[in-house]
Amino acid sequence: MSSTCTGTTGLSSDAPDPGTAPGIPVSVYRGICRYLGYRNIVPDDAVRERISRNYRALEDASDRRSVFRAFPVSFPAEGAVRIGLSSSADGFTVESRDLCRNLKGCSEAVLLAVTIGPGPDMLVRRAGVSGMLDAAILQAAGAAMAEEYCEELNQSIIADEREKKRFCRPRFSPGYGDFPLLFQKDFSRILNMPGAIGVSLTDNLLMVPSKSITAVIGIADTPLSCGVSGCDACTASGNCPYRKN
Amino acid sequence: MSSFRAKLGSELLINDGGMGSLLQARGLKGGELPERWNVSRPEDIIAVHTAYLEAGADMLTTNTFGANALKYTDPAELREVVRRGVELAAEARKRAGRVPSPAEPAGAASASDDGSARRPAYIGLDIGPTGKLLAPMGDLPFERAVELFSEVIRTGAEAGADYVIIETMSDSYEAKAAALAAKESCSLPVLVTVTFDSRGKLLTGGTVDSVTAMLEGLKVDALGVNCGLGPVQLLPIVKRLTEIASVPVVVNPNAGLPRYENGATVYDVGPEEFSQAMLDIAALGVQVMGGCCGTTPDHIRALAAAVRPLPFRPAGEKSITLVTSFSRAVELGKRTVIIGERINPTGKKAFKQALREGNIDYILNEGLAQENAGADILDVNVGLPEIDEPAMMAEVVSRLQAVTPLPLQIDTSDPEALERALRLYNGKAMVNSVNGTAESIEKVMPVVAKYGGVLVGLALDENGIPDSAEDRVAVARRIYAAAEKYGIPAKDIVIDALALTVSSDGRSALTTLETLRKLHAGEAGSSGLSILGVSNISFGLPRRELVNSAFLGMAMECGLSAAIMNPLSPEMMNAYRSSLALLSMDENCMEYIAACANMPAASSSGTAVSASPARTSPAGGSSAPALPGPGSSPEELARALAESVKRGLADQAAQITESALSHFEPLDLINAALIPALDEVGRGFEKGTVFLPQLLLSADAAKAAFEKIKESMAGSASAPKGRIILATVKGDIHDIGKNIVKVMLENYSYEVIDLGKDVPPEVIADTAVRENIRLVGLSALMTTTVVSMEDTIKLLRKVKPDTLVVVGGAVMTEEYAAAIGADYYAPDAMATVRYADSVFGAEI
Repeated sequence: MSSTCTGTTGLSSDAPDPGTAPGIPVSVYRGICRYLGYRNIVPDDAVRERISRNYRALEDASDRRSVFRAFPVSFPAEGAVRIGLSSSADGFTVESRDLCRNLKGCSEAVLLAVTIGPGPDMLVRRAGVSGMLDAAILQAAGAAMAEEYCEELNQSIIADEREKKRFCRPRFSPGYGDFPLLFQKDFSRILNMPGAIGVSLTDNLLMVPSKSITAVIGIADTPLSCGVSGCDACTASGNCPYRKN
Repeated sequence: MSSFRAKLGSELLINDGGMGSLLQARGLKGGELPERWNVSRPEDIIAVHTAYLEAGADMLTTNTFGANALKYTDPAELREVVRRGVELAAEARKRAGRVPSPAEPAGAASASDDGSARRPAYIGLDIGPTGKLLAPMGDLPFERAVELFSEVIRTGAEAGADYVIIETMSDSYEAKAAALAAKESCSLPVLVTVTFDSRGKLLTGGTVDSVTAMLEGLKVDALGVNCGLGPVQLLPIVKRLTEIASVPVVVNPNAGLPRYENGATVYDVGPEEFSQAMLDIAALGVQVMGGCCGTTPDHIRALAAAVRPLPFRPAGEKSITLVTSFSRAVELGKRTVIIGERINPTGKKAFKQALREGNIDYILNEGLAQENAGADILDVNVGLPEIDEPAMMAEVVSRLQAVTPLPLQIDTSDPEALERALRLYNGKAMVNSVNGTAESIEKVMPVVAKYGGVLVGLALDENGIPDSAEDRVAVARRIYAAAEKYGIPAKDIVIDALALTVSSDGRSALTTLETLRKLHAGEAGSSGLSILGVSNISFGLPRRELVNSAFLGMAMECGLSAAIMNPLSPEMMNAYRSSLALLSMDENCMEYIAACANMPAASSSGTAVSASPARTSPAGGSSAPALPGPGSSPEELARALAESVKRGLADQAAQITESALSHFEPLDLINAALIPALDEVGRGFEKGTVFLPQLLLSADAAKAAFEKIKESMAGSASAPKGRIILATVKGDIHDIGKNIVKVMLENYSYEVIDLGKDVPPEVIADTAVRENIRLVGLSALMTTTVVSMEDTIKLLRKVKPDTLVVVGGAVMTEEYAAAIGADYYAPDAMATVRYADSVFGAEI
């Protein structure tokens, strides 16, 4: 199947269905379950209700913003990729085999950044004061919500490109594989993340608000039959409890 | 007085427009820092300033928007771009013959009043955001932000700027840091404009009301809005601004909303359309107008032509009284507001204990509970002789304002505690209190004048508490007069009419009520605002709530503006809501009716009127097991308790524990029921049949049981099994995992010293040495911060080699843990508990 589809459900085909929770889109709910550590088990009614309640509070508190722009892509050397014109300060060069593999065949790439705002972070802080359960759920739900928003944006970019008869690669973020997290700084600078969507970086390159995602989406004239996407590209393969199957 | 200060607010001033796109047109590349052109392309900068001067601008904004030490890491370069930025604007106005003469009176213009007149032009040092979010949301400490702004402002002021313009602020805390920096580093006029979204909110939640109140409290010379939106979208926001601002209002919109075309940002609103829309803005009564992104000299020229002929409307003093947090403004004087009184150690053993132990979560919980019960403002009193009150006040205020949107009332008699709290408070706080004595006035009023605040004045002085209402009002008058001298406006004064107990003076309530009436009528000062500590009226009487709630109704009828009371008390809230309805302060009695809908049917005393949902919902799909009846045997009680912990039923666990304590010694109950239940759940978690939510629900239930046990044991605290430091290491701000470990360790009777997150190695090591700690738990969730973990371990080995270190976190692995020298790798909370048992058990 085309590697342009990143809408996996996060479940292996023979796992029991964790069902749904009232008021939450299915894919988001499954993301929440995955982040809470439920791999193949259905959460009970009480937990499901708690998840729904927290999700509603999260929706009220979130403020979705996004920014994205397209840049030319070139490969100046083996294992290196340049995003942006070579002559311009408006771009960066990365040495990353994994990113090169992801962007192979691409002439352009979209840099994007999304956030669901600072509200969810405050909710998590608040919840943590009286007990960790709601905090843990809110944390999971916030991550799932940001993922979902990023996925929506990704899908709309895919659709736009398809109209121009072009194909998107699976989105790839700083921190995946050998694409260094350091490049968050370049994302921030080039997209003016603080000004455009209110996202800044801590000294250790964490985004604040924390429920924010940056990604590169390569664009090519031909589809790729076998792409390296998301979890598959990540070197934490054995250890990550949140890995999508 | 400089001529700019004289003109600001007494005549219309035209600001310049955007600079960024003009520089781009001259070749500024994307990704290039524009301020560097102050050094490399000075003539281009002068050309832009000149174009705006010719277009009719009175105010030039220097090309220093992004100039701060975070973007310019070389201090010499930073100083140079700032200095040059001011000098270039000065050069442009000199060449244009627009230098103000020293004694320029307001309203002066030579020749003609059109845009190209030789009106004097003024240079504004442009201060933009740092690009980092302030703590607690981000990691930039407030004082560091103040420092960053201060160094730029000092340089710019020395270089000859006429005023400081702090703009494009999307966070009220950062706006405060910048405004404070300006007030403390120079004596120039300070203008602050913020950026709202289309809903009228700042990125971090501020509203027009909350931001205006805070900035006016800081005594900025003008405030307003820039960027984000075009003039049409800004109209409702500017309308509210002009309704409540008592200082001149500044409006610098974008040329409409941005569009992206071929990778460039395009603004569609042209000069004519812009100036027409600005006429509507001007009609609202705005004193400074210009433009931001997308505007050009042509926009400013059209703007000036359109609005200069209009009659000038000064801002005018507004008498609205607002107490604000980072996101909320509470108005005093419309209907009685509730100030929650529970954050106060007086008469509260558990609270005092929490203060001594530094248990901030306990205090935060009191705050949140009052918020959920309907408090509008939270009183914060942490005065206890044996603790460091200023430090505690600073910490509690910081932590509280990070979790609640309610404004706070800083309640202290310690001047240092007051100053520290007001300085770091994100908003305009209420201050409790000053009184009529000279000493109190001299200690309290200057601080409130500097940082802003709504000040409570107690109607007592050197002669004590006056017996009559007239005499109390006389003291109040003196407080208003003193406030005026210190620069605190009358609208920010609230008088405490003083409620003395009727049990010692039968007329005391009548005196208080009469005082309230006089205050409300404005006999003491124009604000007419009053406050009472309601419960004082009943000291010494039985069933105090009954007297308090009756008194509250009477006081509200006399015009009480704010009631310091307990919102968790059903009697008080019933009286409050009924009185609102009776006094026509509850439209159609809607709130009263809604509250009644949440009340249980029988109206016996003690029914809670609350709109908040039950604290815990029962775990488990099937209905909760019935509580064991009164005749249950000890075995049945122990079994039921274990069951409620396993099922995560916190309320049940607490109730059963109460009954069980009459049959069991506390320690026996813990060992017979609680620990086995926790162990069973923990084993399930390790095996993968029980999941995190259940683990936490069970932990909550066990915690509820432990709390009951602690209450019964109060006075004979049992020694913890062991003391453990937990911390998320420097550079990392993830702490949920660490907090879960803390919950589990405490459940197993360990005392946890939680140092929080982003903790430097030195702090961990110092605490370990000072408290003689045997086991330290470190958490990190980013590969980049594992280095901090390694540094911490190295330091610990050096200064306290007998301490063991257990590590955890999403990126941690056995191999990594071994590589950095940890003693143990714990994959989850239960594993940490088991390891702690092995460490401390080995010593018993």
